[in-house]
Amino acid sequence: MVRGVPQAWRLGAMVFIALVALFMLGPLVVVAGASLSASQFIAFPPQGLSLRWYGEVLGSSAYVDAAWVSLQIATGVTLAATFVGGAAAIGLHRWRHAGADILAAAFLSPLVIPTIIYAIGLLMLWSQWFGQVSMLALGLGHTLIAIPYVVRTTLAVLATADPFLEEAARTMGAGPLERLAFVVVPQCLPGLAAGAFFAFNISFDEAVLSLFLRTPTLTTLPVHIYGTLEFSPDPSVAAASTILIGVTVVLMLLIDRILGLGRVASA
Amino acid sequence: MAQVELHDITKAFGATPVLRGLSLAIAAGELVSILGASGCGKTTLLRIIAGLEAVSGGRVIIGGRDVTAVAPEDRDIAMMFQSYALLPHLTVAENVRFPLRMRRRGGRREQDDAVQRALETVRLADLADRKPRQLSGGQQQRVALARAIVSQPQVLLLDEPLSNLDARLREDMQVELIDIHRRTGLTTILVTHDQDEALSLSDRVVLMNAGRIEQVGAPGEIYRHPATGFASSFLGSANLLPVQVDATRDGPVAQLADGQSVALAQGEARRGAATLVLRQEAVMLSRPDARPGPALRGQVEARVYLGSRTRYVVSIAGTRIRVLTTSDVRFERGEPVAIAIPPGDLRLVDAGS
Repeated sequence: MVRGVPQAWRLGAMVFIALVALFMLGPLVVVAGASLSASQFIAFPPQGLSLRWYGEVLGSSAYVDAAWVSLQIATGVTLAATFVGGAAAIGLHRWRHAGADILAAAFLSPLVIPTIIYAIGLLMLWSQWFGQVSMLALGLGHTLIAIPYVVRTTLAVLATADPFLEEAARTMGAGPLERLAFVVVPQCLPGLAAGAFFAFNISFDEAVLSLFLRTPTLTTLPVHIYGTLEFSPDPSVAAASTILIGVTVVLMLLIDRILGLGRVASA
Repeated sequence: MAQVELHDITKAFGATPVLRGLSLAIAAGELVSILGASGCGKTTLLRIIAGLEAVSGGRVIIGGRDVTAVAPEDRDIAMMFQSYALLPHLTVAENVRFPLRMRRRGGRREQDDAVQRALETVRLADLADRKPRQLSGGQQQRVALARAIVSQPQVLLLDEPLSNLDARLREDMQVELIDIHRRTGLTTILVTHDQDEALSLSDRVVLMNAGRIEQVGAPGEIYRHPATGFASSFLGSANLLPVQVDATRDGPVAQLADGQSVALAQGEARRGAATLVLRQEAVMLSRPDARPGPALRGQVEARVYLGSRTRYVVSIAGTRIRVLTTSDVRFERGEPVAIAIPPGDLRLVDAGS
């Protein structure tokens, strides 16, 4: 507890924290609750208790196909964004010349460009050059959005890394590739892992690009959930969302187990 | 183990000269320390020998081979960094194995044996499976040392190896470094700003000042016979007094600014303006009436009690000198004192040097 803070301020802070928690966790509780409904309609509190909508989701080929598309894209995006973003971060970290700032800004720019504008542009460009959009187009789009996160987390780790390690490796006979493999990449690992985690979640969760670039055979899970909600809302939407929440929690636990969430969060 | 030659090394960072033409030959198996204040270029010189810094001019020769243009990874050297630079994701044993792995020295078994021997040399064999962050500063320092000696490099470079240790551990490690050097016989170059470290560890001391070598010599020689004013004041915090040397009927004397004078050795050939060097522990203080013989007169300005010794600041002919004494005669601030210097400890160097 921080000392010397007036009682009223403390109370205010506690109310604020409680409100933040309420607004973050409240929707999850509502969704999870609604998914247990026995009725045809999304409602909270649920009317009757049942797991039937979980069965509906897992048995529906539309949901399963959409999840499979999302998983494939997210996996590809994770690998590509981690590779490109990690390489960019390592390069930016050492490239201390004029223009490095501009290059860094370019790699981080997808964070500030409105996704919807980027989505329209990518759709027009792809259609003009390659015709029908494909999983590759959507994957590339997601990769571009995910790269800044990998760059940021990796640069953060490199900023606190011992700059003499690589020189020490040189005096021990390590050539450029050996230094990359045995010194630089291990140094970046917590940042790369955190970035990969972000990249996977961003791709799996992304709706704007996925909506613009969708085709009958290329429908991601968020787009399918959105479509269902719009045209035939039933508690299956809530069930699918709850499964997504569960998968995310499991992923976070895994990351925590392997790397320690504290290290990843501080990146 | 190999001999190292530096021929007329110069180095500038942009327009700033750091090394101004520096030549030095180090014999195989010798332990040489490069001593100097921060910014004198000593670390740059070490990095040049390692190959981490390119020279602006001159040549570096290790074991008869000109390595001036050779990358550090292709020189047969090892360097211990001031920050130790242990690889945090590797265990102690993996860190020590690293140079053998990178240089592809021997098979797995031979490497295991070499790692084991190196860890035993620094008495860390039981911590082989720890990660660096689980070790104390002193233990990390030993790992770094083990990693530097494991490949039996032609030259071992140590950058301020003891600076991050506390006083007690530093004394222990000084003894240990001498012992390790004796056992391995590696040509060793050590950079330090600490004169005690330089004097106690090395076969020869290279004193650097402003990018140049000021003096090279064995520790005893460089301590007792500093060649320049800088060397005198840097080593043993000697006092420098401006004097005028004249010949008299009784032989040469050094005259201070206020007219007091000290007799010099008969053989002293120097005349004119010079600097008198007084090591602070060679000066003897006494009450003016207690010493009838010739002595300089001064006044006590301050006293600092140091336990086994006492340091006085004494003003003499307008210059403040520091005196270190083990005597238990106590002088008060403002008290006049007689200052005697044993003839063997009177040294003259060029004025302004």
